[in-house]
Amino acid sequence: MSRPAAVQFTAGELALVRRLQALYPDKRAALLPVLQLVQDTFGYISLEAEEYVAGLFDLPPAHVHEVVTFYTLFFQEPKGRHVVSVCHNLTCHLEGAPTVLAHLRMRLGVDVGATTADGRVTLLAVECLCACEMAPMLQVDDRYEGNLTPAKIDRILEGLE
Amino acid sequence: MPKLTIDGREVEVPAGTNLIEAARRLGIEVPYYCYHPGLSIAGQCRLCMVDVGNSPRPQIACNTLAADGMVVRTETPKVLETRQSVMEFHLINHPLDCPVCDQAGECWLQIYYMKHGLYEPRMVDEKVHKPKAVPLGPHVILDAERCILCSRCVRFCDEITGTGELGIFQRGDHSEIGLFPGKELANPYSANVVDICPVGALTDRDFRFAVRVWYLETAKSVCPGCSRGCNIEVHYNLRRPHHNQGHRVARLKPRENPEVNQWWICDAGRYGGKFVDDASRLLFPTRGRENAAREVGWDEMVPLVAARLRDYRPDEIGVLASPRMANEDLFVLKRLVEHLGIANVDFRVPPGRPGDEDRILIKADKNPNTRGAELIGLAPRAGGLDARGMLRAARERRLKGLWVFHHDLLASAWPGSEIREALRALDWFIFQGSNANGISPDADVLLPSATWVEREGTFTNFEGRVQRFWKAVEPPGASLSDWEILARIGDALGLGAVPGRAEDSFKSLAAGVPAFAGLSYRELGDFGKEAATA
Ligand code: SF4
Ligand code: SF4
Ligand code: FES
Repeated sequence: MSRPAAVQFTAGELALVRRLQALYPDKRAALLPVLQLVQDTFGYISLEAEEYVAGLFDLPPAHVHEVVTFYTLFFQEPKGRHVVSVCHNLTCHLEGAPTVLAHLRMRLGVDVGATTADGRVTLLAVECLCACEMAPMLQVDDRYEGNLTPAKIDRILEGLE
Repeated sequence: MPKLTIDGREVEVPAGTNLIEAARRLGIEVPYYCYHPGLSIAGQCRLCMVDVGNSPRPQIACNTLAADGMVVRTETPKVLETRQSVMEFHLINHPLDCPVCDQAGECWLQIYYMKHGLYEPRMVDEKVHKPKAVPLGPHVILDAERCILCSRCVRFCDEITGTGELGIFQRGDHSEIGLFPGKELANPYSANVVDICPVGALTDRDFRFAVRVWYLETAKSVCPGCSRGCNIEVHYNLRRPHHNQGHRVARLKPRENPEVNQWWICDAGRYGGKFVDDASRLLFPTRGRENAAREVGWDEMVPLVAARLRDYRPDEIGVLASPRMANEDLFVLKRLVEHLGIANVDFRVPPGRPGDEDRILIKADKNPNTRGAELIGLAPRAGGLDARGMLRAARERRLKGLWVFHHDLLASAWPGSEIREALRALDWFIFQGSNANGISPDADVLLPSATWVEREGTFTNFEGRVQRFWKAVEPPGASLSDWEILARIGDALGLGAVPGRAEDSFKSLAAGVPAFAGLSYRELGDFGKEAATA
């Protein structure tokens, strides 16, 4: 999922960028999907990548930086192979999110916002993920896990390569 | 043209006028932060709310166009309450560091809080902190905590210079103005963002902490930095002479003129006035060079210069006028050389480095009055030598005396050795100017000129627009306006009808040079008029 070399799209990816840009009256509107493509391709969005994208859109890099810093789902640093996002909004908080976070911090040995030394997991605390019925819950990569207990958390972590 | 009613009064405005501008026509002031007539509409600050028709909620006046029959109210209880709430929002995270903020005294947070705020603060939480005193480039420094995110600075860089350096990063109450990491705000117009920033977020690195703005006085003026002739204000400080190292001119600011510079000036012009309070100023008429130099009064100097001009044959004398001189000066000089029959007259000296130019304001000709010198006629007269010809003639000892105004010939495109040789070969060399320069030490007579902020006068810009500048501060030492020095010398040589004021010289100019016919100081007003250059 990541291609760490210099930030440069392949001919196929560039064709996709052009297709996305052509969908909108102002091609700037395609910034979001193209930045998603950057993150999927290179793992995260570096400053170099922002400048590269700015070039594709004839925009000053500052305006790409605005978009990247606005959305927390864009990663500006390399992230782990897996991302674990713990909801700490009201319902989850009442149902034990602080315990969940404490357990994860202890098991992974990193603080919220950091990545384990082996690059396996990035730990995040996030606002409501719209799954209060399974509070306390977290998201691991594209999957929701709810009704968390320490034992269940350990099982989830074991499944992460 | 739509006709609408604002606060019970009717007004007709051109189609496309927004409600802020329509109200302004009636003298009604709608408060705003993000709107700027020279930039696109952002609708960001929400301060400009007014009631429109029966709409249940107030609307933003900046983004509402006047329409026929529209009924607008700007002072209803709902509008006043909205303004107050908007002010409270803008100030929620504001650090309230006015005592150490350079904007204090001209800050729209202060002004509008007193006019539209005056609420009891309810903010009890820790405020969000952001970077303070971050240099963005050579001229501008940022305090992100004071920023109200109006986005004027961002739009300026996007829409006026097209350089796009600035952006608003992060979101919510963490949003902050900034540069792409590693870049700087260094475009040739960068400091205009300081002028349009309504608060103390962007301040001027050159001016900040030099003098508090309430000690400043203002004179209308014109930038002498290039042939565009941007309209400016000179902000000067006489009330606290011990502040700012005794510099009287504290800063130059743009003055709106839709025909010339709109709301902007370039950085070179903004910071180009430093020579006024510089140690290199020539203060007293001086005879002799180096150790033999002696300061004398004008009563001794004027007869000396007059004698030189009388005692040498006209063809032995060269006069090198300057396109930095005002029309008033050039016209007296022109009369004087005609009176004496001197044909070796010129004003053009090619610069050592070609000037930069762009499509916004900056012109390659770095002189404010080249067009004036052309129209008044300071080019070589029939049979006369041009500037370079005069220098050659001096080397060949055909030319014996030279009177140079302002030029630093050593900064010209001509070889320095030729110039030095020419100046040394002369019997006499008079230098008239405001500051010492590369060639002034070679002069055996120095005539000290007032700078443009120390006198009044007019420049003619590259389009032939004649524009007035006004006196801000007194000329230092015994320096005088160029026209006045010339008038005194002219008087001693029987020139007759010498001007007693700059305006007298302009009157005779208008009467004597067809291009200026019909112009007068009154006619020129604050914003200037085109000379008949056809
Ligand atoms: S720095 Fe000033 S001009 Fe720029 S957004 Fe903030 S308040 Fe507005
Ligand atoms: S563009 Fe020319 S006239 Fe205008 S501010 Fe700059 S130097 Fe002065
Ligand atoms: S001036 Fe209208 S929203 Fe700011």
